[in-house]
Amino acid sequence: MRGTKQLIYCAILISLALVLSYIERFIPLQMVVGLPGVKLGLANIVTLMALYFLGVKSAFTILVLRCFLGSFFGGGLSSLAFSLMGGVCALLVMTLMRKVKLFSVYGVSVLGAAAHNIGQIAVAMVFMKSVYVAGYLPYLLVVSIFTGLATGSVCAGVFRILAVSGQIPEEEAVPASGKK
Amino acid sequence: MSRQRMRLKFVKGDLIAIGFVVVLTILTAVVFQLNMGSAGGTAVFVYQEGKLVKELPLNQDTTFTLEGDYHNEIQIRHGEVGIVKSDCPGADCVHSGWIHDPGRSIVCLPNRVELRIGGEAEVDFVVK
Repeated sequence: MRGTKQLIYCAILISLALVLSYIERFIPLQMVVGLPGVKLGLANIVTLMALYFLGVKSAFTILVLRCFLGSFFGGGLSSLAFSLMGGVCALLVMTLMRKVKLFSVYGVSVLGAAAHNIGQIAVAMVFMKSVYVAGYLPYLLVVSIFTGLATGSVCAGVFRILAVSGQIPEEEAVPASGKK
Repeated sequence: MSRQRMRLKFVKGDLIAIGFVVVLTILTAVVFQLNMGSAGGTAVFVYQEGKLVKELPLNQDTTFTLEGDYHNEIQIRHGEVGIVKSDCPGADCVHSGWIHDPGRSIVCLPNRVELRIGGEAEVDFVVK
């Protein structure tokens, strides 16, 4: 992808991620699950889209920038550490898992969501200086299966629309070994 | 860049991904939940930054505020403990509700506070 176009896509995706994480605060998933830090992970949609659409490098840039800007707009330093660590773990796992032919967007998304939670718990253990926080991990992992499937289906939908409208070459969206 | 195939349909392989997370869930549940005290839930231990700052019996109703980067108003009533008011972003701790079972905990990450129900002090597991 050419420079300017890439830059614009990055900018759009960063703002999209920021809006999504803002909206997410109004969806009280904790009311249902009753655990701190349980979120839909809407911003992960953007990471996944960026990874598929623009590649790892851009996805990483978008991730880091949206974490910094997000904590700037509200949340503070502690939330920066959490979102950054979780996000980087998720991106790393999704990048690797995407190469596994076995998985579709759904599988990649679920594993990314799980990795996100593991990363966050790791930060929480350091932050709280307590290993007990890890007791939350099983609950968060179960939730991540459902949130991962949800974000995965959103991505699948978006990619399908982009392919149909010709925004991305068809052969990238449908099974074919499109190589360029 | 990123000229790889996009697999957009849910495939059988995804079940493996889900299965993997389920196994991981069970593993972490076994490893971390077993460590949690199973003695009767008689007291609440309040930790801040990994340090035990308060130890209160659950059968005595009380309310106090814990200072830190933020303020958590912690209440004990009817043998349960909960954070009733907090000025931390998101206030996840308040949404966590009330707990009384041994091993259960409420966490306020921004204030680095953890309330844990236990019988005896279990400081062996606190990381320095």
